[in-house]
Amino acid sequence: MVKKSTLKKAVNPIKKPIYPRRRRRQSDSNIGGVLFIIGLVFLAFFKPEVAMLIALGILPTIVLGLTAKGTFKSERTISVGFANSAGVLVMIGDVWANGAAFERVIVSPNTWIIMWGAAGVGYALNYVGPMIAAMVMQGLSQDRIKSINQQKQELVELWGHEVLGKEEDKTPKVNLLKRPPTR
Amino acid sequence: MSGETTPIPSGQSAFGDRYEVITSLPLPEFDSHGGDAFKAVDKKNKSADIFAMVHSPTVPIRNEFYNAFKSNPIVNMINPIDRGLMNIAINGNKQRLVTIFTRPTGGALMKEDGTLHPRLNAARLREGAVLAALKAFAALHKAGQTHRMVKPTRLYFASEKSDDIVIGECYSAPAGYKNPFALEPLELALADDAVRGPGDFPADYYQLGATLQCLHFGEKLWQGRNRTNLIMARINQGSYWALSGGRDIPGAIGTLIRGLMADELDERWGAEEVLDWFEGLSKNKRTGMASWSMNKPTNFMGVAYVDRRLLAHAFGKNPKDAAAYIKSLDFPSWVQTAFRDEIYSERLEYSLDVRPSEGYGGPRADDPKMVARVCAFLHPSGPLYYKGLALTLGGIPALFADCFARDDRETMTMLLELVDTKFITALVEITGDRNPKLQSQFSALASILEHGSSTQLGRGLERVLYELNPILPCASLRFRNVWIGSMLQMMRALDRLSSAGGGKNILLDRHVAAFCASHGTDMEREFNNLAAAQSNPARFNSLTAEFFGMLQTRLKVEALPHLTEKLVIGLTPAVRNLKNKKRREHVQAALEKLKKGGDISKLSTEINMSKVQALDAREFSQACNLVAKLDKEKARLSKKITPADAEARKKGFMGALMAAMVFFAMVSLMTFVKG
Repeated sequence: MVKKSTLKKAVNPIKKPIYPRRRRRQSDSNIGGVLFIIGLVFLAFFKPEVAMLIALGILPTIVLGLTAKGTFKSERTISVGFANSAGVLVMIGDVWANGAAFERVIVSPNTWIIMWGAAGVGYALNYVGPMIAAMVMQGLSQDRIKSINQQKQELVELWGHEVLGKEEDKTPKVNLLKRPPTR
Repeated sequence: MSGETTPIPSGQSAFGDRYEVITSLPLPEFDSHGGDAFKAVDKKNKSADIFAMVHSPTVPIRNEFYNAFKSNPIVNMINPIDRGLMNIAINGNKQRLVTIFTRPTGGALMKEDGTLHPRLNAARLREGAVLAALKAFAALHKAGQTHRMVKPTRLYFASEKSDDIVIGECYSAPAGYKNPFALEPLELALADDAVRGPGDFPADYYQLGATLQCLHFGEKLWQGRNRTNLIMARINQGSYWALSGGRDIPGAIGTLIRGLMADELDERWGAEEVLDWFEGLSKNKRTGMASWSMNKPTNFMGVAYVDRRLLAHAFGKNPKDAAAYIKSLDFPSWVQTAFRDEIYSERLEYSLDVRPSEGYGGPRADDPKMVARVCAFLHPSGPLYYKGLALTLGGIPALFADCFARDDRETMTMLLELVDTKFITALVEITGDRNPKLQSQFSALASILEHGSSTQLGRGLERVLYELNPILPCASLRFRNVWIGSMLQMMRALDRLSSAGGGKNILLDRHVAAFCASHGTDMEREFNNLAAAQSNPARFNSLTAEFFGMLQTRLKVEALPHLTEKLVIGLTPAVRNLKNKKRREHVQAALEKLKKGGDISKLSTEINMSKVQALDAREFSQACNLVAKLDKEKARLSKKITPADAEARKKGFMGALMAAMVFFAMVSLMTFVKG
């Protein structure tokens, strides 16, 4: 009686490589988004105009949260979110104090320029951030290289060029095992 | 090479100052194989009759004899008075060991040319010579020593007018060393002349008998005699008849000589019989050969042998032919036919392990040992035969010294082959109680001979030489002009050698290393370290410096500036090999400071080159690792960083996040403050 597994092995001797199972990462922005929606719904019970303004104003962030791909998605979304929120916060004061002002505010182009412009600032920050970081890092690397060169120079001064591992050992190899003449 | 020869000390020693050796007045009648005799004067006692023996550095002296009898001189014998190192002008200036002896001035009873002393007559021979020897033997044997250098040319009248006779010294050469074959008792005579060993007390009585016989006939009875024929004659007719050439000695003296020259140990006269003889109670023992005769003659190499001692000797001296012959025999049948009295047990058969030739019957590796076993069976109390050598185990130290003097490494290698427990066990089984000392003698030798097969520094054949002959001076060519008998003398000699520009890599001289290892105590670890560093000159030199530093401290030797300087120069490659520049400069400065001081021990206590080297190597390795790490980091940092790099993106986005957060915080603050 031949076992099934043995048969399988006989038929298909080449084992398939085992890949690690990809785990879906629970995004922080998802949790934040859910909390944000719950908060918004809760707010809608007391200040529906304010909730409406926030929902419309924060739209660029929501779009980014839903469409963003690749690495650092949450960081990018959060930074756009902070900038966008700053724009929304500027407009929210009037509506909070007087709900009737909602219509006036909503039709005003300035409102959209401020709220979505602030989101644009967030996008701009995301675009410029890596560039600036690269420049700064390049500068820091140069400093570190200078320090390394100095450190190496000190080592060479103390240990000679041999420490660099480039110089051959010039010590003559003498065969001392040769038996000397005996009387 | 002149720089490599140790200069002799500039001044005489205290011993040399006291005694004056007149090398222009040699005294050949006192010469021995171990040295040359010269007239000497004791400056403190100018009337004393003394002579000086200048010892040969290649022949070991009997130190135990000197220790036993220097303070307790033996009557009727030449006794050592003093000894020491002295600068002597013989073939150029040399430092040699010189022993001062009491000098009998009456002349030798027989000169080297064989002529007898005019004052010698039968009465003086009968009473003076025998009595003198008897007294000397009594004292020697009481101290457990044998003389073994009794010769007609080495008996002297004590003074020009006295009838007292004294026998010659026996201290300047090993017992029986290169004695004429005829003057050796049969049980020792069959051994080669440099390896007869100390023998037993009866051997002295045999020598006395042979000496008296020579003096009686007024001839050197051994001269012009063929060794092989004399062996045949001595075994077949007995030593007395063989030496005398068939001439009998009538009277009491003849009886005495016959008794003394008996070949069988239990028939040979000793002190008791000689005393009886003096009192006229002589028992004329007859010697018999029956016990050594075979029941059937054996033809070997065209000669029919009846005596098993002769057959053993013939086998032993022709081992290849003997092996082929033994293998061609039906050995058990041959033993049972030729030795009917012998019980050929299974155990004996197993011990002899004679295997007949098989197939083409070529030589086998075991053949020499097989021949040795058969020889031991044939002559159990005789010498050990191996590869053409005939030796007694007690004589191996002298043979080793002789081999070194002749640079005969082949023989020494043969001797090392004897270190085979199975072989020796078989020999002990075969000889049984007829050679009871074999096992104990071998046990004493085995641990020493084991050094011989090693190529390690401080071991090898040289070590065997010095272990077997602790009194022998260091035989290094560097010391050919000086006498190095102790570590202290060696240290001082090395200082002089260094002053002459020699002594480089001194511990690589196998003689020097072996001498140090043999004369020093607990030096195995040092020599193991030195041996391990043989292929690394820098490390070897630093270990050498430490070694001599340790010796200087241990022996409490005075400052040795030249040796220190040489060792410091020897350390130059080690210092040069130090990688750390600061350490190198520091060590160099410290060495320069110690160079002239002469205190070698400070080289290890203040500098300790081995530790410095180890520390330097360790730190250099760490520095190399650090450099590699820095190089790796530099390579990583040298790459151009673009905004698309993960790290830049991460940091950029984090920066953007922070900026947005700040922006939000500011707007919030402004909004609420305004509100």
